[in-house]
Amino acid sequence: MRTITVALAVARKDLRSEWRTRELVPALAQFVVLALVIANFGFQFDSRNAPAIAPGVLWMALVFAGLVAFGRAFAAEREQASLEAMLLTPASPAAIFAGKALAAALLLVLCEAVLLPALALFFTVPLSFDVVFAVLLATVGMAVLGCLFAAMVARVRARELLLPLLTLPLWIPFVVVGGQAVQAAMGGSGGGSGTGQTTGLLLDLDILFVVLTSLTARFVLDD
Amino acid sequence: MSTVVGTSLTQRFGSELALDAVDVAIDAGEHLAVLGDNGAGKTTLLRILATAARPTSGSLEIFGVDAVIERRRLRARIGFVAHAPGLYPALSARENLQFFATLQGVDSARVAEVLDLVGLAELAGRPAAKLSRGAQQRLAIGRAVLHDPKLLVLDEPDASLDSGGPDLLARVMRGRTAVIATHDHALANRLCQRILELRRGRVVGVPTRLRVVH
Repeated sequence: MRTITVALAVARKDLRSEWRTRELVPALAQFVVLALVIANFGFQFDSRNAPAIAPGVLWMALVFAGLVAFGRAFAAEREQASLEAMLLTPASPAAIFAGKALAAALLLVLCEAVLLPALALFFTVPLSFDVVFAVLLATVGMAVLGCLFAAMVARVRARELLLPLLTLPLWIPFVVVGGQAVQAAMGGSGGGSGTGQTTGLLLDLDILFVVLTSLTARFVLDD
Repeated sequence: MSTVVGTSLTQRFGSELALDAVDVAIDAGEHLAVLGDNGAGKTTLLRILATAARPTSGSLEIFGVDAVIERRRLRARIGFVAHAPGLYPALSARENLQFFATLQGVDSARVAEVLDLVGLAELAGRPAAKLSRGAQQRLAIGRAVLHDPKLLVLDEPDASLDSGGPDLLARVMRGRTAVIATHDHALANRLCQRILELRRGRVVGVPTRLRVVH
């Protein structure tokens, strides 16, 4: 119960700070729209191949937006020396981590709220419940992994370089399975897998990484 | 009975020896001033005493608990004012304290008491970023005493406080065991019973006793 209270307090604090400063979400939203505009000009697509191209563009934009969002989650705390103040309370480091990951995931969801309709508009692909569900499921796993590595590299000078190097290899399963799920939902082949099968796999990956990161978070934060 | 017993506390950062076999003992209710020039090891020692850092070697017991291994057990009983205030700039003074009250598991009614104690009741709704450096320091001191800690560790808290600073420090240190790092000998004489002087990570001479703890 106390873990949930602390996690919610940390997430509320991060979201409130973002709401007041508007540092991250507007910039990320502009970034994802720009990425779509560039992809729109860069790819030769028509109604037949759009369902095959659009998922790739979606995941590229999501991955880079995620790296920025999750990187900022802990970098800002280190810069203002507030992470130590949080960790010197009796609150569990796992609860603090969960709150940070929750807030970062919600901020990325806000970007997705811009990204998905824009993708449907630019690539004239259907935006169904299955697409949204697959993206939200992938966001959970990507958020916990991204925040874990962001916490790990936050005190390192070359953190902007290290974060993608550590995070991207572990995000590959989400990009592969999420890409198949979105492709299937948009009417593409989806690599031969059905939407139900791929979303089930995404859920399994989420459970695996949420459990693993919550077990390792205290060792990363409580240095 | 000693609240803090540190033996041979040593801290290395790579090849640099920041703290060299420092022994420290602080009795319950005693106020200890740690003096020394920049780079003498004051912050390193205070960070170890506040359980914010682990010493490279040496042992530390606080309230009879091994403070190197069981740091988390002690955190509800220690308040720490670090060199940087560590506040959330977009949140108001009240919101900063309310957030930390939740993390400390303290009733939110305590927030108003602490704002009063540190003289920030009238500025409670102002974002921390818009507070003066001195008011930010008062807020950081308020955060450190929010959970009514028995041991208070203050790293140069007077650095940006105004003329009312020494009175504020006397108020928050009253009834607690406290360690304060400062460059101000007059402040140390006023607030503390004992002085420990550091030079290049080592204790200089014998800690000076100024007066007996009552």
